[in-house]
Amino acid sequence: MAKKRKWWSGLLVLSLVGVLFTGCSTNNTASSPTNAPAATAAPAESAAPDATEAPAADGPVDGGTLVTSTFSDIVNLNPLLINDTSSGDVAQFVFAKLYNLDREGNVQAEDWSLAAELPEISEDGLSYTVKLKDTPKWSDGQPITADDVIYTIETGKNPETGSPLISQYDKVKTVEKIDDHTVKFTLSQIYAPFLYALVQEIVPAHILKDVKPTEIQTNAYGTDPAKTVTSGPWKWTAWKQGESHTLDADPNYWGTVKPHIAQIVYKIYADQNTEVQAIMKGDTDHISAIPVTQVEAVKADGDIDIIQKPGAQYEYVMFNFDGKNFPDSYGLFAGQKTRQAIAHALNRQGMVDNILKGVGALMNAPFLPDTWADPGDAAVNYDYNAETAKKLLAEDGWVADAKDGILTKDGHRFSFELQYNAGNSRREQVAAVIQQNLKDVGIEVTPKAIDFAAWIDQNVTPGKFQALLLAWSLNTPDPDAESIFSSKYFPPAGQNSGWYKNEKLDQLWVDGYSTVDQAERKEIYKEVGKEISTDLPYVFLYQYGQAIGTGPRVHWAEEDAPEPSLGYGQFFHAIKWWVTD
Amino acid sequence: MTEYLIRRVLQSVLVIFLITILTFLLIHAAPGGPTQVMLSPGLTPEIFEQQAKNLGLDQPIPVQYVRWIGDLLQGDLGYTFKNHIAVSDLLWPRIGNTVILMGSAWLVSLLIAIPWGIYNSTKVYGLSDQTASFISYLGFAMPTFWFGILLQQWLSLKLDWFPLSDMYTRGKEGDIGDLFMHLVLPITVLALGFLASYMKYARASMLEVLDQDYIRTARAKGVKERKVVFRHALRNALIPIITILGLDLPILVGGAALTENVFNWPGMGRWFVEMAGAREYSALMAVTIVTAVIVVIGNLLADILYAVVDPRVKLGKQGGKTA
Repeated sequence: MAKKRKWWSGLLVLSLVGVLFTGCSTNNTASSPTNAPAATAAPAESAAPDATEAPAADGPVDGGTLVTSTFSDIVNLNPLLINDTSSGDVAQFVFAKLYNLDREGNVQAEDWSLAAELPEISEDGLSYTVKLKDTPKWSDGQPITADDVIYTIETGKNPETGSPLISQYDKVKTVEKIDDHTVKFTLSQIYAPFLYALVQEIVPAHILKDVKPTEIQTNAYGTDPAKTVTSGPWKWTAWKQGESHTLDADPNYWGTVKPHIAQIVYKIYADQNTEVQAIMKGDTDHISAIPVTQVEAVKADGDIDIIQKPGAQYEYVMFNFDGKNFPDSYGLFAGQKTRQAIAHALNRQGMVDNILKGVGALMNAPFLPDTWADPGDAAVNYDYNAETAKKLLAEDGWVADAKDGILTKDGHRFSFELQYNAGNSRREQVAAVIQQNLKDVGIEVTPKAIDFAAWIDQNVTPGKFQALLLAWSLNTPDPDAESIFSSKYFPPAGQNSGWYKNEKLDQLWVDGYSTVDQAERKEIYKEVGKEISTDLPYVFLYQYGQAIGTGPRVHWAEEDAPEPSLGYGQFFHAIKWWVTD
Repeated sequence: MTEYLIRRVLQSVLVIFLITILTFLLIHAAPGGPTQVMLSPGLTPEIFEQQAKNLGLDQPIPVQYVRWIGDLLQGDLGYTFKNHIAVSDLLWPRIGNTVILMGSAWLVSLLIAIPWGIYNSTKVYGLSDQTASFISYLGFAMPTFWFGILLQQWLSLKLDWFPLSDMYTRGKEGDIGDLFMHLVLPITVLALGFLASYMKYARASMLEVLDQDYIRTARAKGVKERKVVFRHALRNALIPIITILGLDLPILVGGAALTENVFNWPGMGRWFVEMAGAREYSALMAVTIVTAVIVVIGNLLADILYAVVDPRVKLGKQGGKTA
């Protein structure tokens, strides 16, 4: 199914409050799954404005240890199985990818990429020929060849492996070896976002080829540092479960650009609060997510450099269009005007200003602001206006009840439950604002926080809820979002959890990925933006981000600064960073 | 006595067995399985099914249970679903870390609380008693994580006297002096909590005994006050305290999730919460078993100690305490 994985982002902020306030209850920990967010093309000039604050001292020095941290341990480092932020983080250091993204989110063959040049795409757009460098080696000295690439794609595509890569390569018909360093991918249809599927780590065929696909998951490759052969600038030396990972620069690393930092310690803290304290104490040098509520305190500390910019993720309110979820099977959100009224009733700018402390940008369509697919003014913007909202609701037939002022239509009260994941303090606050805003126009909202795992299992995946407050993390800069809005992807097999159906949009999504011409695609996504912002399967709220913090020991040249808008952009060009004592 | 012990142990084995069945059913009944937590929610149900199959989670729960208990009887606590790491490799180091932390906090608080509580029972409402009451209130009222953060802000971030968190400084693993420095703050937090209750128990228990007729008799006989307190009163007053200590024993391995979080202590409490969120059934079962065993041992020890401190208590078939 999914053309492109877009991941529900819930857990980043979940751990802290969850753990602190629920104590020993069995719910609410942020353990593994999160999103591997990823890139979106951001204009160069807006890139990391604060980056220059990291003093560039006297140029790079070799050696030293960088301590970076997070608040959940890895699951598995085998690139076939990587599916959570922490494993993805560590993989950034120890694995080379076929291609890498540049700051603007373009696919590039960099010095540290396995591919020698950009892929050659055939006239018909169906085949991609990838030429590998002949220098890359695994950490055990074996060369990295076409066989490794083919093994990776074929094993990832094999349903028996249970690999999340299956959705990324479902349009690959064949992968062929042209010679030891050349691989040809043939697709079953033109699919523009495929280029991003080539930004991918490779696994060593010589180690894994005799392992049955069903046993990849329980194999020691990916969980035992001694048995995990890697391909990146650093190798995985040690893992103390739940405490830390040690990555040492690989003396035999094949790349022409060598890392300056001799050792990276990836530390695991109990939660975000503990992590923030640790960076202020100097126990860690780099953290990826400072909670919004703590940013001011960290700034006041003075020593910590903060990069704060919205990332590749956006939050929304999802309506459920399946009437079965409402009393008497009366779908409350059936009317387009009703949905538009709700959009007008919500004070989105207020949420950005007060809850996100300004680090966010309003959205009207599922495309990140300032990316090439951003429809701009073509999408309808709903200003915060309770009067307009009331007028639209009245036009749609809603009448205020004489007793309590709650709107009713055909004997049905406009009262619904808004679900979100427990422990996410941002969503908790946003839900409260939504409740108040809608109360002002006569709609009764009951916010309900649910344990993440239970919620996804019982409500989100099967599409059983009335309305949701949730976010998507975009793991590639490509605008295609068919798998979350098309009626081809109804629950439980698809991600269109709200059972939204719009035939015009269904077709537009297909058109959008069926050409590789960007100008043509831009026009199509403009049309998508117009239609989706009018019809509103979601009320799109805002793009938001995490603040990256770095301590005084870490340095980089301006062009190598962390880039929040890219997936794993907090480690952008880490190979060129250096540390001082 | 021996017969009594055997009977108790057999009972305990049965209880533990029932606990495992119940726990196994309960944790499997919790919505959302390990695969839901491992995989990003956006993937197709087929991937979830395949992963569940690869991990043996597609089997009926009774089959999974029999498999689990079979492994357990061979001393195998199972593997994590997430990354196929032996649960025993994860569990024992954490129990060790927790015992170090909780054990020292417990000892420190006992050494302070019991003598102080006894002393205060002889000088009720004196300055010392008032001070102790105040400290107890603080201990009861202050949330541990909050007190922990307060100590960190003041003694670590501001004054830099103690390390902020972790068990060892990086590169000094195994260094006792370093461990000691890292223990000071979390022990202070935990000991305050223990102190509050133990001091109250010791004092209350003593007061109750000191009011008894035989104490009055002893005093009337002209026995020295010191001897009255230590010889006559203390032995009796210790019984309820021992009960409390026995019941608290599981805390020593169970850990304190909040304190461990705040001080980033790699212990059991934190691990248990994490494993629960990840629906790591084997890990949760392992914790359950260990805790159940400790509870049973704690109770048993308390019963045996009764007999030691109070010769009137006879452990046996008839007329004895079998609590």
